[in-house]
Amino acid sequence: MATFKVLEQNNPRVDAWEKVTGRATYAGDVYLPGMLMCKTLGSSRSHARIVSIDTSRAQALPGVRAVITGVDFPEIRFGSGALKDRYIMARDKVYYIGEPVAAVAAEDEITAEEALALIDVQYEDLEPVVDPLTALRAGSPSVHPDLESYEGYGFTIEGGNICTLLDADRGDVEQAFQDADHVFEDTFRSQGINQGFLEPMACVANVEANGRLTVWASTQGPYQVRAQLASVLDMPLSNIKVIPMELGGGFGAKLRLAFEAFPSLLSMKTGSPVKLINNREEVFTQNGPRHPVTNYLKTGVNKDGTIVSREAYTIFDVGAYLGAGPNSGIGHGLGAYDIPNFRLRSYAAYTNKVYVGSYRASGVADMTFAVESHMDMIAHNLGMDPLDFRLKNAIKEGDTAVNGSRVPRNGLFECLAAVKERLGLPRELPEGHGVGIALCEWRSGTGPSTASISVNEDGTVSLLTGSVDISGSDTSLASIAAESLGIAMDQVIVARRDTDLAPFTGPSGGSRIVYSQGKAVELAAEDARNKLLALAADRLGVPQDALACADGSVYVQDNPPQSLTLGQLAAMSVTSRSGPIVGNASLSTLPYAPVFSAQAAEVQVDRDTGQVKLTRYVQCQDVGVAINPMAVEGQLEGGAVQGIGRALTEDMQFDPETGAVRNPSFASYLMPLALDLPELETLLVRVPSEDGPFGARAVAEPPGFGPPAAIANAIYDAVGVRIRELPLSGERVLAALRGEGNDVAYIGDELQELKRAEGLAV
Amino acid sequence: MNKQPLAITVNGHERQIFVAPYYSLLDTLRDELRLTGTKKGCDEGDCGACTVILDGKPVTSCLVLAMSAQGSDVTTVEGLATPDALHPVQQAFIERGGLQCGYCTPGLIMAAVGLLQDNPRPSAEEVKFAIGGNLCRCTGYTKVVEAILLAADRMASQC
Ligand code: FES
Ligand code: FES
Repeated sequence: MATFKVLEQNNPRVDAWEKVTGRATYAGDVYLPGMLMCKTLGSSRSHARIVSIDTSRAQALPGVRAVITGVDFPEIRFGSGALKDRYIMARDKVYYIGEPVAAVAAEDEITAEEALALIDVQYEDLEPVVDPLTALRAGSPSVHPDLESYEGYGFTIEGGNICTLLDADRGDVEQAFQDADHVFEDTFRSQGINQGFLEPMACVANVEANGRLTVWASTQGPYQVRAQLASVLDMPLSNIKVIPMELGGGFGAKLRLAFEAFPSLLSMKTGSPVKLINNREEVFTQNGPRHPVTNYLKTGVNKDGTIVSREAYTIFDVGAYLGAGPNSGIGHGLGAYDIPNFRLRSYAAYTNKVYVGSYRASGVADMTFAVESHMDMIAHNLGMDPLDFRLKNAIKEGDTAVNGSRVPRNGLFECLAAVKERLGLPRELPEGHGVGIALCEWRSGTGPSTASISVNEDGTVSLLTGSVDISGSDTSLASIAAESLGIAMDQVIVARRDTDLAPFTGPSGGSRIVYSQGKAVELAAEDARNKLLALAADRLGVPQDALACADGSVYVQDNPPQSLTLGQLAAMSVTSRSGPIVGNASLSTLPYAPVFSAQAAEVQVDRDTGQVKLTRYVQCQDVGVAINPMAVEGQLEGGAVQGIGRALTEDMQFDPETGAVRNPSFASYLMPLALDLPELETLLVRVPSEDGPFGARAVAEPPGFGPPAAIANAIYDAVGVRIRELPLSGERVLAALRGEGNDVAYIGDELQELKRAEGLAV
Repeated sequence: MNKQPLAITVNGHERQIFVAPYYSLLDTLRDELRLTGTKKGCDEGDCGACTVILDGKPVTSCLVLAMSAQGSDVTTVEGLATPDALHPVQQAFIERGGLQCGYCTPGLIMAAVGLLQDNPRPSAEEVKFAIGGNLCRCTGYTKVVEAILLAADRMASQC
């Protein structure tokens, strides 16, 4: 491993002091003079025409300053992707229970709540569709009968509720299935999931005297909020300033415009600042969660255990609107394996439920549960060791990835070996105990990234990027700048930013900050360093290549005492010909850099109750280089615990008749607590990526993918039952132990219909 | 609704304020006293983000009516550090990486401070039990538990 001065050290977070003292300011902590409070009224119907809305009694309530409904907004549809399928507030129809139909600004929150009760909405009910498999069928009621007239519309098949298709193909799948020695088919179902961020969505909007709108937001994507807000308010984008505040968790849920438009319009109407904070029930019912997903897999395998073909179909429920967009899970339908022939399809169906949001690599955790359970089942069926079966088929450097890219060097095999060694696999455990593994893959996220570094006269540097700090990313970016410039961490000041001040940057999500944004910081630091070297060469009268930059100085390599500090150079630069020293960088995409993680669970299963106790969890991830090992481990531990919640207890339940969320609270949606968890064992492998900053890879997404399959595989190892539906509850395990029925409905008929519609032979 | 007088000591300062009778201690700290370090994650007693020390015991302040805290003594996260030094629990959270987004952090720190007042040498299990009502979605708790044990060690060796 290369030697580093700043990277690979456990430096404290740059924001740690503010956070442990309670000084960090989140959107809800913004209080402005004369500020009003906003509350929203949610639809009580799943699918209905709005006949009338009478707000007169609410308007008349003392303390109420304004009431808005959908028709107060410009009649403009927007959407998260290309498809513009929704209004920001319901206009003529409602599509799910909880959909905002009106909002109030009042002098205090309780008055705003009272006013909501005085709003009279008359509905004419329409038939709702709740189950995505029903929504697929010809003759199903239609959620968006006018879909074909929406801007960006590109795809539908019979029934009209399918709004997107993602597909990928290679080779001759049918022939490969015919030639294979064995063919295995399985269907898996994963549950509805809430992102569970602790800070409810919050924002404050204020129209300034000059007519510009300022929004203090809880967001991962300030530029995305600005653009979408401009579109729904029909306002020039440059008239809006979004200030991303400290973010109390988002995990994908805060990537896009949420409710910022309501206080914004209310501020425009009242001339006062307006604040909106969701309560926890609103977080569950109005703020895009993940819906249940059905994944069907078919795999052709030869006698020696070589996989020759894979077919994967995902039926993905988007709820009322496309929301977070198509499900990226299908792109992971091969798992971490080299499979020559494949057909991958993901269909997204509209239903009358809250629209879908993003959550830590949306869809990939669902797909990994399916793929890694299926791999285990095939291995057992062939009488092979599950780890050996994975090793035999694992993708290698030089193979072609599912996206057509060449697979670069990576640490997949090292990760599997590390987990094998840590647990001493294969391993015999006492009756009722079992061990299971899962292999996870992801790619380092990319997208537009910018950075600017100015060198100050005291030798510190100011780092400006447009990216919101999530999970310590500011600390990582500061570390990269410090390492590149040869200065200490505390010499880097990370600027507070907003959309007026900072250069455009993609949203903070998809594990892209360290890889892509970090690369921009590395390049900006290089640019600043070159300028420092040029100025020093000029002032010291030596050629530039005789100089080096370290420990806060530029010095002559053959004669280190002949040097200038960064502070001296910055001061000189102010009056130099080339001017003050500022390093800049801007990039759009970086090459494909896969990330692999091997994970293993040990469980104890109680045969009488079906209860599963997780007794050990080990994960090993290839991180390329650990920018900050403590922060990396923190990410991996936190991600794994989210995955453990997904595996065992978390379950958003939707009413089968109305689509309403049945358990909208932390008391009924069960996320792991400290007492529920075993010690987490976290191992790091370091195979540097070819393009990431100092060889770093993405970190945050893969740890959450493994637990559902690793734990399901461990349950099978312990008691011999296979659970194909999440969560792996005691009830399901007990039913399986008693031999009571199959847990996941077979979706053969639906698949036949989809294939027929696509013109494939069935 | 008419506000009523409330006398309460917060972080060592006696305060005389007026609050609406339905106001929780949490809303009073945040809206009336602008001590926004104490966080609201649920307002239903389920997440622990609003934990403060009330008359020596950690409580979820969203479930306490402000008027019921008449004459009480409250310590919030803002009251832990002196101008010169952080509280050992705060220091340990920084050193052990016991925080990420930080939204649960004030509540976890107050729960830990409450625990260490009663039980200066807790086991890891006792720490997990003490923070058993605090949700954290980011850290997975491992480093939080480590931080609290480190603070306990340091505080006990100072006595
Ligand atoms: S806000 Fe009080 S427990 Fe969640
Ligand atoms: S650090 Fe984010 S919830 Fe705990």
